Amino acid sequence: MAEVIIPIGPHHPALKEPVNFKVIADGEKIVRLELDLSYTHRGIEKAAEKRDFIRVLPLLERVCGICSHSHSSAFAKGIEETMQLEIPPRAQYIRTIIAELERMHSHLLWLGVAAHEIGFNTLFMWTWRDREAVQDTLEEMSGNRVHYGMNEVGGVRRDLTLEQVNAALLRLPHLEDRIKKYVDMVNNQKTLLVRFRGVGKLSKEEALKYGAVGPTARASGVDYDVRSDDPYFVYADIPWEVVTDTSGDVYGRTCVRIGELQESIKIVRYCLENLPEGPVRVTAPKAAPPGEILSRYEAPRGELVHFIRTNGTDKVERVDIRTPTLANWTSVAMCLVNQNLADIPVIVAAIDPCLSCTSRITILNIKDRSAGVITMDELRRRSCTRCYGQEQE
Amino acid sequence: MIDPVYTFVYIFLFPGFLFIIIYGLILEFLDRRIAARMQNRVGPPFFQPFADFIKMLGKEVIDPEGVDRQLFDAAPLVALAAVMTAYLYVPVLGNSPLAFQGDLVLVLYLLTLPTIALFLLGWLSRNIFSAIGGIRAVTQMFIYEVPFFLALLAPALMAGTWSISEIAVWQQKNLWFIFLQPIGFVVALIGLQAKLERTPFDIPEAETEIIAGPWTELTGRRLALMHLTMNVSLVVGSSLIAALFLGGPMIPWVIIPVWMGWIAGFFLFLAKTLGVLLVLASIKVATGRIRIDQLNRIGWKYIASAAIVQVALVLIINSRWVSS
Amino acid sequence: MSVLGEMFSNLLSKPFTILYPKEKVPVPDAFRGKVAISDEKCIGCSKCSLVCAAQCITMVEGQRVVEFKGKKLERKKKPKVKLFSCIRCGLCERHCPVPGAIYLKNELSDTGTDRETVIT
Repeated sequence: MAEVIIPIGPHHPALKEPVNFKVIADGEKIVRLELDLSYTHRGIEKAAEKRDFIRVLPLLERVCGICSHSHSSAFAKGIEETMQLEIPPRAQYIRTIIAELERMHSHLLWLGVAAHEIGFNTLFMWTWRDREAVQDTLEEMSGNRVHYGMNEVGGVRRDLTLEQVNAALLRLPHLEDRIKKYVDMVNNQKTLLVRFRGVGKLSKEEALKYGAVGPTARASGVDYDVRSDDPYFVYADIPWEVVTDTSGDVYGRTCVRIGELQESIKIVRYCLENLPEGPVRVTAPKAAPPGEILSRYEAPRGELVHFIRTNGTDKVERVDIRTPTLANWTSVAMCLVNQNLADIPVIVAAIDPCLSCTSRITILNIKDRSAGVITMDELRRRSCTRCYGQEQE
Repeated sequence: MIDPVYTFVYIFLFPGFLFIIIYGLILEFLDRRIAARMQNRVGPPFFQPFADFIKMLGKEVIDPEGVDRQLFDAAPLVALAAVMTAYLYVPVLGNSPLAFQGDLVLVLYLLTLPTIALFLLGWLSRNIFSAIGGIRAVTQMFIYEVPFFLALLAPALMAGTWSISEIAVWQQKNLWFIFLQPIGFVVALIGLQAKLERTPFDIPEAETEIIAGPWTELTGRRLALMHLTMNVSLVVGSSLIAALFLGGPMIPWVIIPVWMGWIAGFFLFLAKTLGVLLVLASIKVATGRIRIDQLNRIGWKYIASAAIVQVALVLIINSRWVSS
Repeated sequence: MSVLGEMFSNLLSKPFTILYPKEKVPVPDAFRGKVAISDEKCIGCSKCSLVCAAQCITMVEGQRVVEFKGKKLERKKKPKVKLFSCIRCGLCERHCPVPGAIYLKNELSDTGTDRETVIT
C-alpha cells in the first residue's frame, strides 16, 4: 500500500480525551506523525486571576480529575512559600497521605488502561476492582472519590479521625497482595510481554533531549524525581526510594509504575502509623506579598510546575501551569516513528496521557487568517528580547 | 428415499436453521456470562443477545457516500447463508441425513466465506480503518487456515473417510481422537479461535487501534446479520470439533426406541459443544491481543509445524497398522 | 498461570459488583452530598455566599430571630443555594462561623429536570 494518512483522533476508541494524530503509514509501519493538541482548553489560567485564594483552589483542583490533589497542592505550596507560612506537621503528613493515595489510584488506573489498549480486558477489570479500595479510603477521608478538596492555603481542611486511619491501614495488606500478583502477571503473561517489550524504546539521551518527565523518563534511567530532588511535604524525612529502570520501553514504564505503587503503599503506611498530633491548619493572611514563585510537584505523571506571580492583592496576577503530559508528548511523537500501527495506542498510553492537563497555545493571525504554533527559538527570541532588552542568538 | 417432510423439518426447524439461530444466541450469552464471571463481574442476562439482535434489526441503515449499496447488503447475507449451510452437514442428533463423502471439505470451505465477506466489506467501505481491518482479516486467514485444515485432516486420514458423520461413528468403536491426536486437538482449537476472530486473534476488529475494522460501516440489519453469522460459526466450529475429536453425538450402544437415542445424542451434542465453548471462553479471557506480524511468526513457526508433525504421525501410524 | 488460577476461582465466587437498586452502596459519613441549611442556626452573615467557588449562593429575605452565643438576634437574610450549580466543594461549610448552619449531608442529591432548583 502507498502512504496513507490515518487519522487517530480527535475521536478514537484508543484515546480517552481528544488529541489529533495524523499518522502517515506505509502498510503497517509508521513513517511520520503530526501532532495537534489543545482540544480541551478551558481558560482556567485566566479564570484563576479573578478568584481569591480561597475560591481559586477548587478551580485549580478541577484542571484534572486524576491528579486533582497535585494541582491544588502545588498552588497552595507556592502561595504558602510566598507568604512565608509554616504549616503544621500534621497537615504536611495528611497532604502526603492524600498525595500518595492519589498516586496509587492513578497508577492502578493506568495499569488497567494499558491492559485495555492491548485487548487484555481481564487485567483491566481486576486492577479497577482493586482501585476501589483506594477510592473507598479517599472517600472516607476527604468526602469524595475525586476532587478531594483537602487543601487550603495554610494547611488542610479536614482532620483524619482514628477510625479513618485504622480503616485505611486495614485495607493496605490486601492491596499489597494484589500488587504482588500484578508484578507476577506482568513478568510472566506472554501476551503482555510480547506487546510491551521492545515497543517504544526511548534511550536515556533521547529522554533528556526531548524533556520527558515522570515514569516515562525514569524508565529510561533518568534519575529525576521532584520528591527527592526538591523535597516538599515530608518526603525528606521518611524512608522511601526512587524507582528507576533501564529498559526504556513500555515494559520498563510498567515496571516503574508498579514499583512506585509499592513505594506509595509503604509511604502511606509509614505516615498513617506516625501521624503527629497537633493542629491541621494555620490562619493564612488574606493577601500575598508581591513576588514570583515556581512551585514544583511530582504528580503521578511526572513533574508538575506552577509558575505564580502575585502582586500584593488577594488574587494572583498570573498562574501558568506546565503539566507533565505536555512535556512527554514530544517523546511520543519521536518514538512512534518506524513502529507498527498496532503499537500506537500502547505507546500513547505508556506516557499516561492526561489531556485535560495539556494545553498548548495556537497563534491565530487574523490579518492573513493563518493558525500555527510558536517554535522554541521564536519564543526565546521574543521573551528574552523583552526581558533583557537585547537580541539573543 | 429421504422423507421430504422429515428433511424439511430437519433443515428449517429442528435441528436446522431455527434451532441454530436460537442456540447460537444462547452460546453467545453463555460466552459473555462465563467471561464476565471470570473477570469478577456480573455479565448480561440471558435474553441479552436476543434483545441485541432484534434491536439491531430495527435500527437505521446508514450508507456511506459512494459505497456500493447492493454489495453491502449482499455480503452479510452470503456469509450467513454459508455458515448455515455448513451446519446442515454436522452431526447433531446422530448421522446428518445430508451427509456424503467429502462433506468435511465442503464444511471447511463454507466456513471460510465469512472472512472473505468481511474483507469485501472492509474493501468496499471507503474508510481507511475498514481497509486496514479487511487486509488484516485476510492475512490472518492465510496464517491460520493451513494449520486448521491440516489438524482437521488428520482425523479423516486415520478414520479413512471424508464424511464427518462417519468419522464420528468411527470414534465409537475406537478411542476419541482427543486421546489419539492431542496435538491436532490443540491446533484445531487455536485455529477455531482465530477463525472466529476472538482474543488473542481479534486483530481485524481491534477496537483500540482501528475502531472496528471491517465492521465500522455496518449498521442496522447488516450488523445484525453479520453478528449472527459470527455466532452461528461459533456453533458450527464447536460442533465440528466436538464431532471430529470428541466423538460427536453418537452413543456406542444401540438404544431402543430410536427417538430416545436421538434425545441422548442431542444432550451429548449440547454437552460437548458447551465444553468446547468453555475452553474457547477461557482462552479469550486469559490473553491479550497480539500483533499481526507476531501472529505471522508464531503461526508459521509453531502452529503450522505442530499441525504438520501431527499429520506425519498419523501417516506413520496408518502405514504401520495397514502394513501389519 | 496465576491468571488462569484466578480466573477459575472468580468463576465460582460472587461478583464484586454491587447490584445498585437492590443492594445499598455503603456511603461514609464524611461524604460531601447535598447542601442543607438550618434556619435556626444561620445568622445570615453572607460569608458562604462570598466564598462559594461556583457562585451559586445568593442571600434572600428571611426575617427571623436566631440565638447566637447566648443572645437573641434579629437577622434579616438567609442563603439560597442553586442545587444543580453546586460543586460540593464544601467551602461554605468550612467558612461558616456557626457549625451546622450550612453543611453538606451525606446523601446524594436527587436528580431533577429543573435547572433552577434551590435549597433555602
